[in-house]
Parts: sequence; C-alpha cells; structure tokens
Amino acid sequence: MESCNEAVVVQALTYQYHASGPFILRDIGFRIDRGEVVVITGLSGCGKSTLCLCISGLIHHHRNGVISGKIILNGKDTRGMRGPALALEVGMVFQDPDTQLFSPAVEDEIAFAPENLCLPPEQIQERVNNVIDTLGLAALRHANPYYLSGGEKHLVALAAVLALDPPVLILDEVLSQLDSLGKKRVIATLEILRDKGKTIIAVEHNLEALAFADRFMVLEAGKLIRFDRTEKILADQDFLMTRRLV
Amino acid sequence: MFLELRQVGFSYPQKTSPAVIGINLSLKKSGITAIVGPNGSGKSTLTKLMLGILPASEGQIYLEGRNITEYSLAEAGRRIGYVSQNPDLQLFCASVAEEIAFGLVNQGCDVATLEERVNFYLDYFELAAYRKSFPLHLSQGEKQRLAIAAVLANEPEYLILDEPTNGLDAYRKRLLEEYLHKVAELGRGILLVSHDIAFVDRMAERIIALANGQIQSDSNQRGEGYLCY
Repeated sequence: MESCNEAVVVQALTYQYHASGPFILRDIGFRIDRGEVVVITGLSGCGKSTLCLCISGLIHHHRNGVISGKIILNGKDTRGMRGPALALEVGMVFQDPDTQLFSPAVEDEIAFAPENLCLPPEQIQERVNNVIDTLGLAALRHANPYYLSGGEKHLVALAAVLALDPPVLILDEVLSQLDSLGKKRVIATLEILRDKGKTIIAVEHNLEALAFADRFMVLEAGKLIRFDRTEKILADQDFLMTRRLV
Repeated sequence: MFLELRQVGFSYPQKTSPAVIGINLSLKKSGITAIVGPNGSGKSTLTKLMLGILPASEGQIYLEGRNITEYSLAEAGRRIGYVSQNPDLQLFCASVAEEIAFGLVNQGCDVATLEERVNFYLDYFELAAYRKSFPLHLSQGEKQRLAIAAVLANEPEYLILDEPTNGLDAYRKRLLEEYLHKVAELGRGILLVSHDIAFVDRMAERIIALANGQIQSDSNQRGEGYLCY
C-alpha cells in the first residue's frame, strides 16, 4: 500500500527500447511526494527523457520496448491506465514542442485537451484565458503554432498541458529555448503551481535555473546515482565536477 | 564582406506583422558574431534568409558579392554550414557515421580523409558508441551534437548555429565552445543565435540584438545592452 501523500512512486524500473538494445534505465526506484518540485539532471543520453516518458505512461502504452518495474501515480498503477485516465493524472511537455503541437491556432491548441475531457464550454474558455494570461501569450492567441519561434512553441506546449490541470506535471527542458522574460514567467508559474500542491518534475541542464526545487535527481548511464535535497547537491561541487555536471 | 544584407524584410503567410524588417547588416568572413533577442524577434528567420532557405520579401542579400538568389541551396550550403534550431529536421541518414560522412561523400572526399574525419568527429563529440545507431533514436542532446558534428565535418567557410547549446549538458557545452574557438582561430566565421547569454558572453566578439524584427543594437561590448534578453 503506497502512502496517500506520494504522487509518484517508481519501483525497480528497467527499460530497453529494443530487446537486443542497451539498457536505457536500470533498476530505478524513488518516491516523490505531492507538492514536491524535483529536477532530473545528468549528461545527455543518460535516460532523463526516457524516465519522463515512463512516468507519463507513454512508454507503457505507445512504445514497443522492454519494460519492467512499476510506476504508481497518485496511488494508481500506470500499467492499468489508458490515455484519458493518464491525462487526468499527469501532463508532459516534451523536449521538442513540434512533436506535440498540431492545431491551426494557439487557442485551439490550448483548448484541445479540456475539450476532450468534455468540460463545459465556459470552463474551457476560462482555462484557455487563464493560461494565456499567465504565460503572456495574448499576442499569439490566433497565431498558427507552426509559424512560431522555438521558444514560443515551448510556451504554447506548456500552456496546452497547464490547461489540463494535471496533479503531476513533467517538463522536459522547457526553459532551454526561452528568453529571459519567458523563463521568468515559467518559473513564476511553476512556483504558483507548487504552492497549489501540484507535483512538478523538470529535466534541466542548468542547475541554477530551478534552484527553488525541493530535490535534485541525478542520472548517469541509466542509473539513479543520487537523489537529494537541492541545497545539498548544489553545494557539493566535488560531486558536480566529478560527474561533469558543471 | 562575406554576407551583406540591405534593407531586408520578410513576412510569413497569414501573419499581419513582418518577421524581420529593414535589416542592414554586414558580416565578415572571420570572427564570432551572436544574434540575441526575445522569442519571436526574428533571429531564426534572419539566418534562414542569409542562407536562401527563405526568400526575402524586401531588400537584397549578397553572399561574397553575389545576390543570394543566384545561388542554389547546395552552393550556399557549401559556403555556409547551418545547424538549425531543431536537429530532427536535418538528420536523415541511416546511421550516425553516415550522417557525419554525408557531406564529405558528396564533396568527393577520398576514403582515407573521410574515415579520418568521421572518426575524429565521432570521438570529439563522444558519439563513437553510437556509430551504427539510427540518428533519430538518439537523445535530444546527442542529436544536437550529431547535427553540429555533421556540419563541422564539412569544414565550411562560415558557420551559422541556431541555439547550438540546446539539450547540451555543461560538459558538452564546454567541448563545443573549445571547438568553435579553434574554428574561429583558423579564420573561419561563426554566427551564433542563442538565448544562452553566458555562452554568448564567452564566445562572441560582436553581439547583434534584435527585437520585433529589427536591429536594436550592434555592439562589440560584452555584457551590455543585450542582457535583458
């Protein structure tokens, strides 16, 4: 029985994209409480994005790799959950926003998920307006996402996930293409969401960018090598240097 | 002058305001220049105009004195190596090694040089373990390193790198910086587009700030004027 305060529980998670391929994740296990902000970091190729895809349930249902272990979101095992049920528990912003934007206008993109949850029109409109205001997207409301810049696309992808209002939010390097104003807006939004009890998991290479996080998780070659309080990790320069993270 | 832009403007279809407007800019064949600016300010559009990927709606662009419209994309591509913001858009070979070799093979490079260069770039960008891997199965940071390696292997006269530090960890970012400094020391020019202000500050000797599709400042002073971006 998992504690009711745990938003994400991962047990003995191992994953290969192909049966004959290398292990991308090896025996990963951790627990994240509700309302926690956790940063996942590590050298590129260490398995950060794959871990995010596993937590979001996408690996279980949309990839043909070899997975073992267990992922529990808010007390529910993701193996038994399908798309709509997963969408109510977790929302993910991918590293490449082009892979998740498809609507002809920004406001349609943001409204898409709430519409598919069959929310009343006035509630959909309220959610769309709220995230547009929060992320400063008013000028792009009617723009075609295809023609936006990389940073703008990332903001729209984030807005579309925020409109779902999931209890667990996964962000895969969303800050990397944002200008300083965009970064400030996103960080301020994450702090508000944290205060509202949302659980946030963010992949980030810039260790100082999300220094307000509660804990940092460090992956190396598919293994979880450290999961500790933010201040402890950031103060441990020997560890960061040895692992080539700074 | 290597690249010269005169009163260049461009508008995307279905957009009411132009993406870039009235750009006058000259770039020498050497040195490291950076373009900075807020999201949507026209940085990537400007680089695509310089390469002839997008046709200017207004004004003229000259590459080594010839109008860019007189070049085929292949001719412009032989002079200017370009790494786009999204590496997925430029990786297409069946393996990592083939991706690095592609440009060299098409230039008629001899086998010994080809092997030497491919091995060098695989080693330098720590991609040797993925030599036979399908490029689109790599992580985003690995794809970024591969896209950069594939362009550098061609040793173009000039490089345009759009957000080259995206997806790179601190260690790989340092490797890239060291390599780009070496390229610049060889007298080849580099144009960087980046939001990574610390990276820009360490790399660029000239910084051009764009806002709303127009040049706001063009300075040799680091740490001034552009930090707000």
